Amino acid sequence: MKLTLKIWRQDSAKTKGKLETYNLSDVSEDMSFLEMLDMLNEELATKGERVVEFDHDCREGICGQCSLVINGQAHGHESHYTTCQTHMRSFKDGETIFIEPFRAKAFPVIRDLKVDRSSMDRIIQAGGYISAFTGMAPEANSIPIHHNIAESAFDSAACIGCGACIATCKNSSAALFMSAKVAHLAKLPQGQVERLERVAWMVNAHDDEGFGSCTNTGACAMVCPQEVQLLDITRMNYEYNRSLCVTN
Amino acid sequence: MAFKQGLFKTSVGRKNLMAITGLFIAFFLIIHLVGNLILILPNSFFPVEFWGNVANQHDMYNAYSHFLVHFWPITLVAWVLYLAIAVHILDALLITLNNWKTRGEKYEVTDNSTSTWISRNMGILGSIIGIFIVIHMGQFWLQYKVLGTEHDLYNLVVATFKQEWVIILYEIGIITLGFHLVHGIESAHRSLGIYPKKVMHIIKYIALCFGIAMAFLYAIIPLIIYFK
Amino acid sequence: MALNAKTPKGPLKDKWQNYLDNTNIVNPANRKKIDIIVVGSGLSGGGAAATLAELGYNVKNFYFQDSARRAHSVAAQGGVNAAKNYKNDGDNIYRMFYDTIKGGDYRSRESNVYRMAQLSVDLIDHMTAQGVPFGREYSGYLSNRSFGGVLVSRTFYARGQTGQQLLMATYQALMKQVKVGNLTEYKRHEVLDYVIIDGKARGVIVRDLVTGKIERHSAHAVVLGTGGFGKIFYLSTLAMNSNGSATWRAHKKGAYFANPSWTQIHPTALPQAGEHQSKLTLMSESLRNDGRIWVPKKKDDDRKPGDIPDEDRDYYLERRYPAFGNLVPRDVASRAAKERMDAGHGVGSLKNAVYLDFKTAIATYGKDTIKERYGNLFTMYKKITGIDAYSEPMKISPAAHFSMGGLWVDYELGTTIPGLYAVGEANFADHGANRLGANSLLQASVDGNFVLPNTISNYLSNEIRTGKISTDSPEFEEAEKTVTDQVEKLLAIKGTMPVDQIHRRLGKIMFKEVAMSRNEKGMKWAIDEIKKLRKEFWENAAIPGDDKGPNSELEKAGRLADYLEIAELMTVDALDRKESCGAHFREEYQTEDGEAVRDDKNYMYSAAWEWQGGKDWKLHKEQLEFNDIEVKTRSYK
Repeated sequence: MKLTLKIWRQDSAKTKGKLETYNLSDVSEDMSFLEMLDMLNEELATKGERVVEFDHDCREGICGQCSLVINGQAHGHESHYTTCQTHMRSFKDGETIFIEPFRAKAFPVIRDLKVDRSSMDRIIQAGGYISAFTGMAPEANSIPIHHNIAESAFDSAACIGCGACIATCKNSSAALFMSAKVAHLAKLPQGQVERLERVAWMVNAHDDEGFGSCTNTGACAMVCPQEVQLLDITRMNYEYNRSLCVTN
Repeated sequence: MAFKQGLFKTSVGRKNLMAITGLFIAFFLIIHLVGNLILILPNSFFPVEFWGNVANQHDMYNAYSHFLVHFWPITLVAWVLYLAIAVHILDALLITLNNWKTRGEKYEVTDNSTSTWISRNMGILGSIIGIFIVIHMGQFWLQYKVLGTEHDLYNLVVATFKQEWVIILYEIGIITLGFHLVHGIESAHRSLGIYPKKVMHIIKYIALCFGIAMAFLYAIIPLIIYFK
Repeated sequence: MALNAKTPKGPLKDKWQNYLDNTNIVNPANRKKIDIIVVGSGLSGGGAAATLAELGYNVKNFYFQDSARRAHSVAAQGGVNAAKNYKNDGDNIYRMFYDTIKGGDYRSRESNVYRMAQLSVDLIDHMTAQGVPFGREYSGYLSNRSFGGVLVSRTFYARGQTGQQLLMATYQALMKQVKVGNLTEYKRHEVLDYVIIDGKARGVIVRDLVTGKIERHSAHAVVLGTGGFGKIFYLSTLAMNSNGSATWRAHKKGAYFANPSWTQIHPTALPQAGEHQSKLTLMSESLRNDGRIWVPKKKDDDRKPGDIPDEDRDYYLERRYPAFGNLVPRDVASRAAKERMDAGHGVGSLKNAVYLDFKTAIATYGKDTIKERYGNLFTMYKKITGIDAYSEPMKISPAAHFSMGGLWVDYELGTTIPGLYAVGEANFADHGANRLGANSLLQASVDGNFVLPNTISNYLSNEIRTGKISTDSPEFEEAEKTVTDQVEKLLAIKGTMPVDQIHRRLGKIMFKEVAMSRNEKGMKWAIDEIKKLRKEFWENAAIPGDDKGPNSELEKAGRLADYLEIAELMTVDALDRKESCGAHFREEYQTEDGEAVRDDKNYMYSAAWEWQGGKDWKLHKEQLEFNDIEVKTRSYK
């Protein structure tokens, strides 16, 4: 395969960036998208040019480190894939591919396609946990949880924190990311004690980080690699309203 | 340290406010429609044995309008409605202005196939509806209720709807309203947190049916009057 | 220095309690005055960091990813073992201890393994309390699945993402401590050297991967939870950035490296499809619960798997190991697959795979049940290969996976450098010559959450009068210079050979001669090749860019420079051990039907290697004693 790549190059958050064009030939259909970028980088390195910086790690769709907006879609055009799972067989020979970083004011560019997603960590810091210190736990089977509830909590907990939802959302809202954690912990009996405060603190942190508000377009859930449901946002709204009305 | 909470202070709170005001306005649409359906009913719907001296469309419509304007609890609700519309618009502005700031640098290429055009453009739809409401109220509410220059509302309505440009304007406004409702009703319930999966599934259909029904019924009123 | 394992006195089952009864602890008021550096944010490092912060120590957590939630523990799929005996199938702590020792081919330390089995029970409680959505029965009680190498069902799981879920719990606990203020995160920071003052670990030199700045950080103790170095094979199930540099540089500062050659080759990964490939994705071992492994009986049988009738299929694991069948331990399964592939029965275009078939399971339990058990693995398989495994068998192949070897540690998880601790995969402790499935999440979590916070206090109790440690000392000066010099040296090469290509070549050498089966001739060749490659690296590596900002090629080059040294020690270690045990299979030492032959008389030891400034290594032997278990020939037949 021959490809034309238009890749966003930017030195740092302080400098301006622009799209650069690269031509790549002999791309194999079996390559993953990131292996295609590896190939480009090897060519650049051989020529002594600075390589394209991009985030990646596990390359099996679970660590959430790979990002990239490919042809206008977070993680590429295949729904519920991560970039590392996207393979070149789904592109056409001779195609022009636009590669940009995840964009949001809360995701400042570090270099090229690498962005700083610490803002998501800070949402979790605000309350996305159960404060059970090591040594406090009761016997695990003393908290029976219905099979379906455990499964449903898992569906929310499966979020890999990649930020595709935010990169896709027209408002750069982190509602899906935040709600996945709120829903995960609200569904489980272990999460009940801190339930009221958790959602309020997290929503506060979300707003302070400069994320937008959710307008329920559903685009986030369409790109989510772990298929976290839009319903989790609804659940979070419920939790938020509940925290307005109920006091401990 | 306490957290910020409430309808104005957080992104979720502001969406709640949109939902509450939006749903109230949507509920008003039903009431408004019921009254206006009088305009397209044939005279045989008004049996003289039952209604007495208002047993025709013209008198019935005017009696209904008179009742709306002079019955104080309705006036009170009307003020709540004006307030709801104002808050809905202001809140929308607040949310939209904030959302515009969240992206930072724009994408060079965007692909919007993951969401519907309607859901992304509620602001544009809402603005069209806003302009439409101003014209609509200028045509009827202002003259009949505020200035009192026109006492026979039925005649005013029929005369207005005999003009082509009015028909086109109303059809655009009403269809826009239909689109706004389809996403708005679903989104409002989501914002309020109606989360059980099955309920949300039903609400999605209700929102779709409600939007289509409202748009259809409101759209045929001017058309029927025009062609009658 | 003679090795002192510091194993506590008393009967095996009381050792840990005896240790806790007699250990020194630090007054809560004094903990705030003590700084601890924890490197790594996974289950071991993150668990230790969170727990130490909960205790009130002043913790600095360094990791190179962009968030603590990305640590490679996230990728573990199948589950975590615990001797809860919820199934009433005869499980208990001793049996778990027994299985682990036997699975490790009698090459691990009894006291450590027993402690791990004891604490496994607490770990499930802890993780459940943290909100891990473990799989549940319809009654609401915790569910278990079975795993390779054991006869009971003791594996707790959260679908095929157990590692992710445990890591999320640990990450959340970390985030809580960040908010509380006991823990400072240093993300995108790579530890490049250690500072030893008066023989004690006193700090680290790190490179900020965003600004490129070299920084000094001091502490009263340093904990390494930096994982394994399986990425040395280039193609492995590890994450691209997983590396051995943190442990290796500790080794070069004086920490002994134990059993480096013991690398687990996982039997169920996806096969390599081409030269460009960067990663072999793991398919959880739990698939072997219901999947049957086979190859065609005929050599080079080109028929589609569905067209090959049962009588033409060789279910070789069931044939060779009727007692355990498809659930033999990983080393045995990998070797058996290699044997079939070498004999010409491999499948796929490169003949480098075997089939893992779910036809029988789908016929027995129905597609829905299989989907619920392994749905996400089947989806993952489809995403990567484009093949639907419900209708066609998966193609799988062995791939480098886990380093049983690592920094030598005593019972307290302390390395041979006082004040430097190693937890999780970074140490060598609990798995012997082969790790059982679902024991790695366990070891990492137990080390981080339960063991280290209790043992490190014994050391820190002597540090309460030390006060703040200055970073202006000559030792810091010198360590920083080592790091800056290396960075400059790397950038000065300006060659033409991309770092990844050199790494690929190293991987090929290692996978050929120092992986599933090894022999003297091959390994001597490998050492020569490694040395040649190392020379080539320092002469011709292409490392563009500068050190003033993010530079991924520079990061990779630094790690590869270490791999090129680790590779040699791995081979030296494998050459030294003239026996076959667990994952270490020497072709010279096998039975007629190809099973491993151990030499307990001469090799019942852990080999701890001491760095000698680059010229060879000095071997220290930790003799292993088995008082509570009868040493037998491992058999799964």
